[in-house]
Amino acid sequence: MYGEIGNKLVQDAKRTQSLAHLPRYRTEMVRAVTREVRDLDKDVGTILEPFAGSFNPSTEPATACALLVNHLCMRRNKRCLLAYHRVRSDKLEEMCWGGVDVLERQQQQQTSKPGGEGATTLGSDGNSSSLSPEEEEYVRQYSDLLAAYKGQWTDIDLTGSLEPPKDLFIDVRVLKDAGEIQTEYGSITLTKNSQFYVRQGDVERLIAQGYLQRLG
Amino acid sequence: MDISDLLASVVAPPTPSHQRLSDLQSLTRSFVAERTCPELLPYPSALLDRVLEAIREQIETIEEHAGDADPRTNFRMIILQTELERVRFLVRGLVRGRIAKIDAHPLHILNLYTTSQPTLLSPSEHKYLTTHQALLSSHFSASFLSQFPAALQRLDDTTGGVSMVDKPDEDRAVFVRCLRDVGQVYVEGTGTRFEMRRGDVSVVRWSAIRAWVLGGDVELI
Repeated sequence: MYGEIGNKLVQDAKRTQSLAHLPRYRTEMVRAVTREVRDLDKDVGTILEPFAGSFNPSTEPATACALLVNHLCMRRNKRCLLAYHRVRSDKLEEMCWGGVDVLERQQQQQTSKPGGEGATTLGSDGNSSSLSPEEEEYVRQYSDLLAAYKGQWTDIDLTGSLEPPKDLFIDVRVLKDAGEIQTEYGSITLTKNSQFYVRQGDVERLIAQGYLQRLG
Repeated sequence: MDISDLLASVVAPPTPSHQRLSDLQSLTRSFVAERTCPELLPYPSALLDRVLEAIREQIETIEEHAGDADPRTNFRMIILQTELERVRFLVRGLVRGRIAKIDAHPLHILNLYTTSQPTLLSPSEHKYLTTHQALLSSHFSASFLSQFPAALQRLDDTTGGVSMVDKPDEDRAVFVRCLRDVGQVYVEGTGTRFEMRRGDVSVVRWSAIRAWVLGGDVELI
């Protein structure tokens, strides 16, 4: 039926909104919807062909109705596709702002899959990335754009925490070895399971990346 | 040494602190306004320039005293740094709020900017908007749109009864506080009329109160 696959895409997008990760890109569905649109457009062409440009809807109500349905289906499919891609690209942008390296994570997921353990997070198709090639390209370019925009705010880290700062110094516990960091009070070596009392601004990035955990 | 000595050393040097104080107040005000208003507000360029300049000065001051071990300056440094973090938070929240709105309604905002409100965006925001929009449309067209019939490839189509250009909901209710008497406010479409006097707090449609907020007679809270 017309529009059925489009509907599935939108449902998928709706589900995506409440997920932490990005589900697999539905290449086949996107292609099927696009094909449907092209077929509908062809149908419109064949229906209109015998009239040779002089079609009058009021004399041919049945044909006019068929045309209207075709047109509405095409538009609806377009909206579904746009919504699907927009939800996904919004999600990707959010990851870029949150400092998650999307592409790197993709590679990790791909490499961890043959081992069997990491395959549980994604759909049935084990050996493909959950991003389409176009989306990977988009992430790359958006990160560049973001970096360029951020670069103009030299004294403010735009990707920093959006929680109002309460204390200048916080207690953190190290979850993963993060090496040595430089602060204005000297350098600290972050080894796993150790605890520090440090300036929030110095370690915010490391907390976001999951190296440190904030205590208290 | 008592507490007043300490306070005195914190307050010094006596720069034009009056301007600073009102800057902080207006920064807080635009932060709140930008985050509660459904529409994008004009870019406060003069204010942000002053604030960024002040931040730069504070960072320099802090760096100068960084090696100081004297507990008195140390305490002062902690206060300065805490303040700095807070101001940074305000600016960050303001800028991020604006970016979020720009991302939500790019074509609508771009249209307003080019036709009627050249102060709506800063040059860098304009660049961000256009680049982001170009990225999006090339992403869409690479993914599926290029295979569509030519008549259906546009992203700003208004035919078929549905406009593709998304607009913010201008009739959303906002909380406002009246700073100066504004007299009668008329809410269009409902026939409601009411008086707003200084200090009044009300919940009003944004479209009805917009003119006074932009004029500074009423603030969003």
